[in-house]
Amino acid sequence: MVLDILAGFVYSIIVYNIPLLYGTVGEILNEKAGSLNLGVEGTMAVGAIFGYLLGCRTDSLFLGILTAAAAGALCGLLFAFFTVTLQANQNVTGLTVTTLGLGVYYFVAHAVHSRSNWPMMQDCPSIVKGFSEIHIPLLSDIPYIGKAFFSHNLFIYLGIFLAVLVWWYMKHTTAGLRMRAVGENPGAADSCGVNIPRSKYLHITAGCAIMGVGGYYMALHINGEYLASSGWINGYGWIAVALVIFANWNPARAILGTFVFGIFKALEVYAGSIAFAFPALFGWLKAVPPKVFTALPFLITALVLVLSSARRSKKSNQPAAIGVNYYREDR
Amino acid sequence: MKTMKRFHIVRREGVSLRRKCLYYVIAIFSALLLGALLLLTCGVNPLDYYAKVFTIGLSTARFPAKQVENFLNALVPLVLTSLALSVAYKMRFWNVGGEGQFLIGATAAAAIPLGLGSVGGTVPTLLLMAAAAMLASALWGGITAFFKVKFGTNETLLTLMLNYVALYFVSFLGETKGKWNFFLRTDSDRPIFASVFDTVAMPALRIGDFSLSLALPLTVLICVFLWFYLKKTKQGYEIAVIGDSPGTARYAGMKTGWIVVRTMLLSSALVGLAGFFKLMTSGSLSASITDNVGWTGVVVAWLSKLEPLGIVATSVLICVLRFGCSQASVNVSAVDSRFSDILQGVILFAVLAADFLLRFKIAKKEEAC
Amino acid sequence: MADAFAIELKNIKKSFGAVAANRNINLSLRQGEILALLGENGSGKTTLMNMLSGIYRPDGGEIFVNGERVDIASPEDAKRLGIGMVHQHYRLVEVFSAADNIWLGRNCPKYPFREKLKSVCAEKKGWRRLTAGGKVLVCGAGAAFSERLLRKKRYQEVEKICSAFGFSIDPAKKVYNMAVSEKQTLEIVKVLYYGARIIILDEPTAVLTVQETEKLFEVLRRMKAEGHSIIIITHKLNEVLAISDRVAVLRKGEYVGTVETAEANEQMLTDLMVGHRVDLNIERPVVEKKKPLLEIRNLTVRNDEGVRAIDDVSFYIRGGEILGVAGIAGCGQRELCEAIAGLRKIESGEMVHKGENIVGLMPREIIEKGISMSFIPEDRLGMGLAPSLSITDNMLLKTYKTGSRPFSPFVDRRRGRAEAARIIEELGVVTPSTETPVRRLSGGNVQKVLVGREIQSGPNVIVTAYPVRGLDIHSSYAIYDILNRQKESGVGILFVGEDLDVMLALCDKIMVLCHGRVMGIVHASKTSKEELGLMMTGTLNLVRDDADAGKKTGIARDTNIREDDVR
Repeated sequence: MVLDILAGFVYSIIVYNIPLLYGTVGEILNEKAGSLNLGVEGTMAVGAIFGYLLGCRTDSLFLGILTAAAAGALCGLLFAFFTVTLQANQNVTGLTVTTLGLGVYYFVAHAVHSRSNWPMMQDCPSIVKGFSEIHIPLLSDIPYIGKAFFSHNLFIYLGIFLAVLVWWYMKHTTAGLRMRAVGENPGAADSCGVNIPRSKYLHITAGCAIMGVGGYYMALHINGEYLASSGWINGYGWIAVALVIFANWNPARAILGTFVFGIFKALEVYAGSIAFAFPALFGWLKAVPPKVFTALPFLITALVLVLSSARRSKKSNQPAAIGVNYYREDR
Repeated sequence: MKTMKRFHIVRREGVSLRRKCLYYVIAIFSALLLGALLLLTCGVNPLDYYAKVFTIGLSTARFPAKQVENFLNALVPLVLTSLALSVAYKMRFWNVGGEGQFLIGATAAAAIPLGLGSVGGTVPTLLLMAAAAMLASALWGGITAFFKVKFGTNETLLTLMLNYVALYFVSFLGETKGKWNFFLRTDSDRPIFASVFDTVAMPALRIGDFSLSLALPLTVLICVFLWFYLKKTKQGYEIAVIGDSPGTARYAGMKTGWIVVRTMLLSSALVGLAGFFKLMTSGSLSASITDNVGWTGVVVAWLSKLEPLGIVATSVLICVLRFGCSQASVNVSAVDSRFSDILQGVILFAVLAADFLLRFKIAKKEEAC
Repeated sequence: MADAFAIELKNIKKSFGAVAANRNINLSLRQGEILALLGENGSGKTTLMNMLSGIYRPDGGEIFVNGERVDIASPEDAKRLGIGMVHQHYRLVEVFSAADNIWLGRNCPKYPFREKLKSVCAEKKGWRRLTAGGKVLVCGAGAAFSERLLRKKRYQEVEKICSAFGFSIDPAKKVYNMAVSEKQTLEIVKVLYYGARIIILDEPTAVLTVQETEKLFEVLRRMKAEGHSIIIITHKLNEVLAISDRVAVLRKGEYVGTVETAEANEQMLTDLMVGHRVDLNIERPVVEKKKPLLEIRNLTVRNDEGVRAIDDVSFYIRGGEILGVAGIAGCGQRELCEAIAGLRKIESGEMVHKGENIVGLMPREIIEKGISMSFIPEDRLGMGLAPSLSITDNMLLKTYKTGSRPFSPFVDRRRGRAEAARIIEELGVVTPSTETPVRRLSGGNVQKVLVGREIQSGPNVIVTAYPVRGLDIHSSYAIYDILNRQKESGVGILFVGEDLDVMLALCDKIMVLCHGRVMGIVHASKTSKEELGLMMTGTLNLVRDDADAGKKTGIARDTNIREDDVR
């Protein structure tokens, strides 16, 4: 009973929060290449709506993912074009991507819905099938742990795979090294012959494509129900920006970070039942207001930010040239 | 090299004002054109639609006076927030914490009538509310300035985080019933924010059907004050020097750390005041009370080149779009009310592109062969 | 091909805004020679070289590399052409290791897919051709992939390369832990590793000690012997004569000419560099002896890296004298100026101004005491001016608060405008109006604005570093004149300079710093350039503790010795 609750708890944390991982990994790619992209929310929304609509029209999960990635990548291209080629301020461009992205999301969703040909996910058997849980043989049979960790849908494995892949790419490939150099000291990278615009374009676009897929997951996760008011992404993009700092710009740590953020988010809902299940250990959880759990990750992130700057630690992975555009002829 | 790149970009300066205006007008028009194409795909006549948007729906409104009032009520917080943020940006301090400061200001303002009731009449209560709003959000913004000065913490990221802390603090207040929580209505079992209108209301000047809230003239005053502050006063001068060259400011004997903190206190206090004004039009607190002005303000301030007059103009444009689109969507059901987001986004991008053409020029290399 | 120039520049032009940095430059670099590029500060040497390394693009003109016309649009292009530049301000990623900084720009070898496929197709027939072709593709992809991985072995490889070039670098050492000379070595190795045959060094000796410079020159000679062509930017004549084969001279953005080093001497090069024979006829008025205005006792200051930049330095400035400070770049001049202005934390020691210790005072309080400091950095805008603000606003920088309206909240721009107009008039600043942003003025005018403001504030001590940096002779003399008038009115002046000839003529005493230590304070009229040069490099140290007298020797005391007294 107790373990059941715990397994369910872990399971729901993972299921609810994996989009954060997509957003975070995508944003890490952006930031490590020196671009603070505040357009995550909009990028995810655009990926979500186009991925969902096209995926359902063709009844193909694969095409859906591809479309979501392509739509996200397009947002990334827009951001890159303005900040890299046109040297526009990154904060402003990012916020504008968010505005535009959400606008496109609402516009398209409304336009399709008002013509009453909104596709329902239930009518797309292969998407439903593709989105259903994949039980990893043997591992998923382990009691409790199997349910918590090894019977999830495709996106969750894909997300973790992407995070590990990006981590490996950044740490173990020459291209990753170059990209980190661009984020640290574009002048140095430039004089080594690294093509800065290309590197930035590439990583921003790739990062935004990943965000787009995360958005698509969110759409499928709520069965593609049309929401007129709050939208599908509902602030997850912003949380991803925070998570990047929490994860210290390390995609592998982002997995852990997602989980920690997820625990707090889940506690908002589950604190009561956990307190009920373990009155001795966690009885006090009941007394904590739910929103405290939601706010805590941000507070912790803010603290981490302040502390790491206070110690001026070299351990912080914050890219030195983040938010600064590079124009070669500036001295 | 075999490849001959004949073009490259170089910085330029001293573009005439006329040219600037021309570029911006072209940018806005081309953005509206793109919007018109989108409208056509929805089977909506763009001219009709735009006519509705730019008259903020007055032509079909039943209570035009009320309409204008609502429009002005939406405009005031945006103008004030953008102005406030621009003060920090003059100093190259990237305060993106408008949302959080706005929320904290509104909450502190609400605490006065809801917690203390009417304090010796309307005017003292209102003054107290304004003071509370400004003080609270000044402190909230001051935190970031303090750490920036002390440790060099990245202010963009820190203000971003604090936005959420503020947001969840307000939603916590909105969800938690308790004896201590005077923000909620006592007569309801469900947690609902209480209205401040039961205690105070903003004085307004009645002109026929139309009532002009005191917030508007105050905002105009603040706008004028800020113009003077930035252009004419010693403090404004200090801000300009620090924004231009912090090394020089230190060299000139300015206490840069204190000036950064002071300016940020002013900037966030004004955002807090905007929150107070907004509270006095919406009546009760909510987590979505900001209406995204904290974000939009960043964009407005930047696009207006931090010029107070430009900020007012840009805010009016964006507010017209937003308000107009939401009005137009009442009649035109095929288009979502958030169509303004698209228009706004496209216009912003067009203006950013125009900015590029104003800041850089594309130089052609002299052909020698 | 073999006798073609390694680099040939024809009619190269480059301007920044209204300022022409390079005008019709013609320059050639022979294969396997060391060419010194000589010129005063601001003569356009770095700009020119940046066009070769792809940082800037020329506005006009042609560049030939090995006889072939090229267009260098980016550092990438430069690298491909075999041109490598060691910038004055090193371009290294601080948080990376030495090896990674090199690895960054490594060209991954291309796997010869096409050739191998062709040969396989020619050998094999039928389905065997397919499988063999597939094998080539898979192996090739594998090889190309593994080539692009970061492996531990890169450290060994970098170390191997270093020793092959005759350097020793710890490949795993992070750049932020490196000393300056290590960073420079790393930059040179980097350039060599990228296969550069043409190597440009921008003021490589500015931050090096004598021994390090000698070592660097050894390296350069060895590189030359290996067939590299080298351009070295410098404005130090002795180095030019020591290392180069030919010398090209720039003056105010224009090409003056190239001479064989063997046929050149210092006088001739100086003439080329400054245009005409330097007949330094700077007046040195003799002023009544006054009490010390500012006395520095045992001052120790650390630089940004935490190293002692000023080490136990003592001296004093009297009213009515000019004390020169000489030393190679980075010997602590900047830190000394900043310490006096209250901008740098003082580790130990005293600074006594008119009998009052000013250590620990705020910069503002020091300004109010009448101590003016102006420092012209290399970019001329870094300290002392706010580039985007108008001349008027820059006039008010130090006096806006307590100047004419101490209690008013408003800035007195009328006064600023009047002062700006006066300086424009008196110093002949070329500007459209008093409201023009300083950034848009040319270098010389920017400096006039700065120096003019400092003098207008009516200080009693003037600390001025490189006030004539990059100025033409005419403007320089105008500035010397201003300083002399100040001296006559009883102001004490600390003059940090570069040009020894100027200092010998202008200053009353000269203090020489080497690595933050005083090598001696000498009377300008009693010393020689040679003596100063030896002191600057640390070869000669006049300062000795005289145990008997309890004093230090080697420190000149009085300054108002008439020229005839000396004789």
